[in-house]
Amino acid sequence: MANAKGRQSAALTAFLIIQTVAAAFFVGDAVGDLIADPTGPHSIYEVFVALALCLGIVFGIVALRRTLVRMRDQEAAIATASGALAQVIDSQFSDWALTPAERDVAFLALKGLDVAEIAGLRGAASGTVRAQLTRIYQKSGVSGRAQFAAFFVEDLLGAALVPT
Amino acid sequence: MAADPRHGPAPDLWDPLVRTSHWGIALVVLANAVFTKGGSSVHVAIGWIGIALLVLRLAWGLVGAPEARFGAFPPQPRAAIAHLRSLWSGKPGHYRSHNPAGAMMVYALWISLAVVIATGLAMTTDSPATIADREAIVTSGDWSTLAGTSDAGDDDAQDEHARKWVKEVHEMAANLMLALAVLHVAGVMVESRALRRNLVMPMIFGRRK
Repeated sequence: MANAKGRQSAALTAFLIIQTVAAAFFVGDAVGDLIADPTGPHSIYEVFVALALCLGIVFGIVALRRTLVRMRDQEAAIATASGALAQVIDSQFSDWALTPAERDVAFLALKGLDVAEIAGLRGAASGTVRAQLTRIYQKSGVSGRAQFAAFFVEDLLGAALVPT
Repeated sequence: MAADPRHGPAPDLWDPLVRTSHWGIALVVLANAVFTKGGSSVHVAIGWIGIALLVLRLAWGLVGAPEARFGAFPPQPRAAIAHLRSLWSGKPGHYRSHNPAGAMMVYALWISLAVVIATGLAMTTDSPATIADREAIVTSGDWSTLAGTSDAGDDDAQDEHARKWVKEVHEMAANLMLALAVLHVAGVMVESRALRRNLVMPMIFGRRK
């Protein structure tokens, strides 16, 4: 999503640059004609086209600004949502009465780390981590790792994350 | 956005219009200062591209993204000097847009660019296309068709004097701009060191995640 918006703003910028350069060349040429023959039909036509070009640039600037502001709002919304998700996870861990060590392991497991990686990070034996994971699955009443992760994804899909 | 736009975290990445116009103008200035011949159709055409980029950037300064607007980096000479002092003492403040010294540099560069453009326009009465046509005639060797164009001779002495003067200002402002550009690069390097933050990346692709 953010990438698509990024591409959109890049395309809008490229469009704006090309249009402004074209407008500069056209207006420069039109000014010469205007000085030579201020009331001729050719001059009037060129002034009209020049105005249209400038109007296009103004619209382009407005569109680019809107896209950038929307991108920033979305980033802020995502940050809020991920903060809210962390809160949801935290309170759920409390409901399950996970010990501090189990909380850490559960978080790392949710982040997608495997047993060896968690053991390495925590400086513990893999056996310990495996035992902790088993306790976590027991306390949360899930069958295993996949279901444990799915628990929160379901939460994410089901309920509104950001308090309204 | 209700907070003071002058303070807060600096952008990880400048918006695309700021970046494109920045490097575009840098290329235009470099090309016309070093590579093209003054008065040639290419020189004038590149100059016109410079006009377009400057006008677009100035318009963006009025209505663009928050940190690109003039209000985010007002010209404040005193604050600029204070900022340079704080650099010396090693405790420079962080700004959401350009720092006060950087802001003064931006305005100085824009003003000198505007002077270069204005004097350049004063010296050329024709569009790049017309100049290119004339160059083609000169190359072909048939100079007779040039008689009667705006470039045909018979300038009086006063006109010649004015033209020389304008040309002088054009070259002086261009040299001033190049000197300022060197100073600008040096400033970015010093500031990056003092803040321990790469100030160049936000002007290219942004911070690597």
